[in-house]
Amino acid sequence: MSKYLEFSGISKAFPGVQALDNISFRAESGRVLALLGENGAGKSTLLKILSGDISPDSGSIIINGKTQVFTSPHQAIQAGVSVIYQERQIVPALSVIENIFCGDLPKTRFGMIDKRTLRRKTEEILKVFGLPIDPDEPVGRLPVAYQQMVEVMKAYRRNSDIICFDEPTAPLTDSEINVLFDIINQLKKEGKIIIYVSHRLAEIFKVTDDIVVLKDGKLVKTFKTSETNQQELIRAMVGRDVGDTYKNLKRNDKIGDVLLEVKDLCTDVLDHVSFTLRRGEVLGLAGLVGAGRTEVARAIFGADRITSGEIIFDGKKVHFKEPKDAIKAGIALCPEDRKDQGLVLFRSIRENTTMPILKKISKWIFINRQEERKVTEEAVTKFTIRTPSINKLVRELSGGNQQKVILGRWTNSLIQTKLLILDEPTKGIDVGTKAEIYQMVCDFARAGLSVIFISSELPEVINVADRIIVMHNGKITGSVLREDATEENVLSLAMLE
Amino acid sequence: MVGRRIRHILKSKEMILVLISIVIIIIFRLVNPNFLSVGSLSGIMQAMSLTGIIAVGIGTLLIGGSIDLSASSVCLFGGVLCALLIRANVPWGLAMVITLIAGFVIGVINAFLITKVKMMPFIATIAVSNVLSGINLAVTNAQNVPIPVESFWWGGKLVFGIFPVPFIIMTLLMIVYAFILNKTQFGRNVYLVGGNMTAARLAGVNPKKIHTILYINSSVLAAFAGIVLASRMQSAAPQSQSDSQLNALTAAILGGIAFTGGAGGMAGCFIGVMLFSFFNSGLNSLALDAYWSLIASGCLLIIALTVDYFNELSREKNLKVKKPASAAKKEGA
Repeated sequence: MSKYLEFSGISKAFPGVQALDNISFRAESGRVLALLGENGAGKSTLLKILSGDISPDSGSIIINGKTQVFTSPHQAIQAGVSVIYQERQIVPALSVIENIFCGDLPKTRFGMIDKRTLRRKTEEILKVFGLPIDPDEPVGRLPVAYQQMVEVMKAYRRNSDIICFDEPTAPLTDSEINVLFDIINQLKKEGKIIIYVSHRLAEIFKVTDDIVVLKDGKLVKTFKTSETNQQELIRAMVGRDVGDTYKNLKRNDKIGDVLLEVKDLCTDVLDHVSFTLRRGEVLGLAGLVGAGRTEVARAIFGADRITSGEIIFDGKKVHFKEPKDAIKAGIALCPEDRKDQGLVLFRSIRENTTMPILKKISKWIFINRQEERKVTEEAVTKFTIRTPSINKLVRELSGGNQQKVILGRWTNSLIQTKLLILDEPTKGIDVGTKAEIYQMVCDFARAGLSVIFISSELPEVINVADRIIVMHNGKITGSVLREDATEENVLSLAMLE
Repeated sequence: MVGRRIRHILKSKEMILVLISIVIIIIFRLVNPNFLSVGSLSGIMQAMSLTGIIAVGIGTLLIGGSIDLSASSVCLFGGVLCALLIRANVPWGLAMVITLIAGFVIGVINAFLITKVKMMPFIATIAVSNVLSGINLAVTNAQNVPIPVESFWWGGKLVFGIFPVPFIIMTLLMIVYAFILNKTQFGRNVYLVGGNMTAARLAGVNPKKIHTILYINSSVLAAFAGIVLASRMQSAAPQSQSDSQLNALTAAILGGIAFTGGAGGMAGCFIGVMLFSFFNSGLNSLALDAYWSLIASGCLLIIALTVDYFNELSREKNLKVKKPASAAKKEGA
């Protein structure tokens, strides 16, 4: 009997979102199944359910005919499920051997770690994978791709039948990706069930056999990889023609003089970054994860230490020591991670909106509640934040509405924002709200604000921004105007070696 | 509208605590009819005010997302310093001011170690605490320091024949701090920094400044508590049998101040202190061994936090039930 993994009617809701809605499909052994979908489609949630990280509200997981209920990651591992996450689960200071056998070290008769068996087994695994890795090397010192391989080896060592990859290629270079694909093909030959989560279409055609497309928590369609093409998949993922969203944007056509000039900016991560930004311009920052886009934003905003270089803002040479100073000068940042860096989740919409303008709505040391309510209500109306009350905790809002609270914080009548930096503003937000946010970005520009728009989603950054700067490894590798930008030319700049 | 408001109050953490307090009082009263006689009430209020004053400082610091484990030592140190100064013929008013300044300096040291040297708050304040305890014992030879100046004994006096002066002080402090936390910019910033330090910093709040003020505040209040204690006892003890900061922490957490920061308030803190003290004195009135009271107060904390957890859980469930409705609305629109 061939092995299989079946999801049967899985549903899961989080405050404000139906993350998964009655998902059912089947993955067969010896085949690679792709989970495809935009950010927020529910791929990660599904993986988390499979790995026992969270439990579904309803539905079940069936492995080889047996219904499984995982209440902890440990149980999932016992049942033969290994998930290799984007954020690697390795212990950097420990050796390759120790990481591979982490949690299951063989013992000698005396209860000591059996180093000899350990080494022999590790070398066997390394041979299977055919990788030139020193088993005693601390994993933290290996290249990223090999760190990931160590995780795959860990899954292999556990004899897992089901191996899942969550966006495995995001941090990898081209040659490293090929190493990964060889390994995946080998695991496939051994009859493993492989689930491959990615939104990079080219890869999916290279390595997978079946494709399941998710959108807004629903299963749209399943495909055989050999019987479909990119257009069909994109249509399934997006559910409508994306081109129109961008074509219909009302953009700013009056770009003014230079507002920001960055010259040879260096930090721990950045390497001589220089660019200019005009009033009313939307500047896109593209690049792979870790290219240094966020660090540019943080350096300008005074959140990270600058080692050398200069920033001229609004005609003055500036050096912000703290975000507070940058805010005073008229710079605003919507950080990458809404929940960890953008919002105080357990406080109200009101309190989250007025954070930078407390002084302006206070008399002496006392906050004027009426004033505060007025500003917040203005933001709620302006950005159509769906909430019954401005006193609702931000935690209880959906991702899109949370993002709007941050936008409301920086663009109300009491704050003089001249430069708005948006770092991944549409991450984890549903497609409809994304389109709203694109139009807001253009509206900000029309109102004379300069916007730096950072995004990992290429189509969005090349279609919303007026000009796109591409980064790689802390350096700027190119600058393209929207008219000339294609996914191909931006991506090739982003992956420049 | 009014109905909703009342329901909101009834469902609040503070209300649950009040109910727990009432149940506890009734039980003790049934077991021991002398419990809560007018005479014993003053005693309970007297005992709770030390815990209460320290809890004001530790509580605000907890809301700001940090912790101070030096408060007990600062309290005892404050008492000893004040007593020694008075014995050296310093007028007691001036002695109090000097003691408060000493508390201020200790707060600055704590804040410096934590915000500048980036030590863990636990470690830094424990280290400072050890140094102070050592100094206390060395200076006094581990002997009590009597204070022979009668005018300084205001801590033992009663107002209206029932309210001890320290209790009045504690209540006033709590009212003032409730006001600061709820109405002022500084108070708001305490909640924001405690709720999410990174987000607060990126929105223009300076967390280091807030924490510095909170550490100084905590130490000054602890030193003040030491003065009040010395004034009431007419002497200063270099070491104490009961750990006042642990009591204050327990009371603050009982009162709904989150250990993780960003939530809670002075009203809850006040009720927490009351609950804790009534409970303890109730146990004492039963004339049980001291061990039992320790066990019982531990259990009290566990019960209060468990109730709180399930209360939070039911709120979360309500959140989920509402969701499909809002999703349907979105599709309709």
